[in-house]
Amino acid sequence: MVAIRKSGGVVPYFWQGKILDPRDDEFAEALSTRRFRTIENSASEEVSIGWVTPADPTGDSFTCEDLDGGIGTWLRFRMDKKSMPMRWLQIYRDAAEKARGRKLSAKERRELKDDLMDKLLPRVLPSVNLVDALLFHDRKTVLLFATSKSARETFGKLFFETFTVQLESGDPLQSGLRADLSPEQKHALERLEPIRWPNEGREAPPLPSLREARPAAAEVAIDDEPVREEPVREEPVREEPVHDDIDDDAIDIGVDGAEDEA
Amino acid sequence: MSQANEGVESHGFLGEEFLTWMWYRWETSGGEFTLSGGRVVGIAIDDFLTFAAPTEDETEQTLRRGLPTRTAEARTALRQGRRLRKARLLIAEGDRQWTATLDAPSLTLSGVKLPDDAEECESDVDRTADRAANWLALHEIVQALYGHFLKERLAPDYREKGAEAQANWMAK
Repeated sequence: MVAIRKSGGVVPYFWQGKILDPRDDEFAEALSTRRFRTIENSASEEVSIGWVTPADPTGDSFTCEDLDGGIGTWLRFRMDKKSMPMRWLQIYRDAAEKARGRKLSAKERRELKDDLMDKLLPRVLPSVNLVDALLFHDRKTVLLFATSKSARETFGKLFFETFTVQLESGDPLQSGLRADLSPEQKHALERLEPIRWPNEGREAPPLPSLREARPAAAEVAIDDEPVREEPVREEPVREEPVHDDIDDDAIDIGVDGAEDEA
Repeated sequence: MSQANEGVESHGFLGEEFLTWMWYRWETSGGEFTLSGGRVVGIAIDDFLTFAAPTEDETEQTLRRGLPTRTAEARTALRQGRRLRKARLLIAEGDRQWTATLDAPSLTLSGVKLPDDAEECESDVDRTADRAANWLALHEIVQALYGHFLKERLAPDYREKGAEAQANWMAK
């Protein structure tokens, strides 16, 4: 067994309520009831999803030791998908049409496909996907090491089927509701509206001249380069609105209503 | 899992405000935060920024490589009141340092790099334990920073204090 990954994407989830304690054998047993089942020899297009352990990718064994992830519990699920390779179907169809000297009818194409499925699919290996997660039981948190929509949805469904607990996403609302905030603040959070910053939605003010923009970059990139004079601009440089825009009306109180929220 | 999308759709803007606030705090206060329990963490914006499109019809702007926060394009976007949608962050606590790209509307992290494995790790079991602790620490730091932001954002005097100061910074 290799170590858990040290890079990549991660999506946090939370749950409410109770799930089995990973230190108990019942936890591993619960995983085994939704274990992965192979479709290696299947003769139809299908998808198989289920738990495995980092130590055994077949899904045949589950022990608490296999799930040891230090301060967390190392979960892994496997998604296999078997599908008919379309290139092969096309090759067989082209050959049949050449032999008959004409295009195949819809019925003939369907029959050819069914026949090839029976013949070829048992020989086709499914694609394999292994996805890891770290579960922190006392924090009611699980970190999923995949960001794709399909992996996230599959994990949520499998978790629910296994532990009968719905996972909640760690999005800004749910994370906020779990933060150390007062009930009033949480209530305000639910009704919060975006701040409208000064100039929001307005056209871009003119860019500062190169010389104005350069100092920061110059420190890094062009230490030895003499600063060249910029060509003189014909039009007058407009003053940037700073303080005038940041008075009482700079932040749209009517929209955000922070006073109301609190 | 449908709740996941609901939270992103209704409060994705708050994640963007959070990320923009971290940039503001990094530039104006050095990016050091003392979190609950006395944990001191530092954050900085690295070499990748994406500004959220103000509306669905408008353009999302991405700046990458070099020092994107120091470019004229970034300042212009801030002056227009645009929020950060994604940014690559450097996060440090003690001698540990993480890099990660935060997708603000969902608060998910991609392209994470954990600190180097501890020297005392001698086996894969040790390495797994060390990395698990680092994954959890990263998650908890982001959540704690977000909680820190929310306390400021939800304070009754936010408009007069935090928001106005940030607006001044954005308008510079």
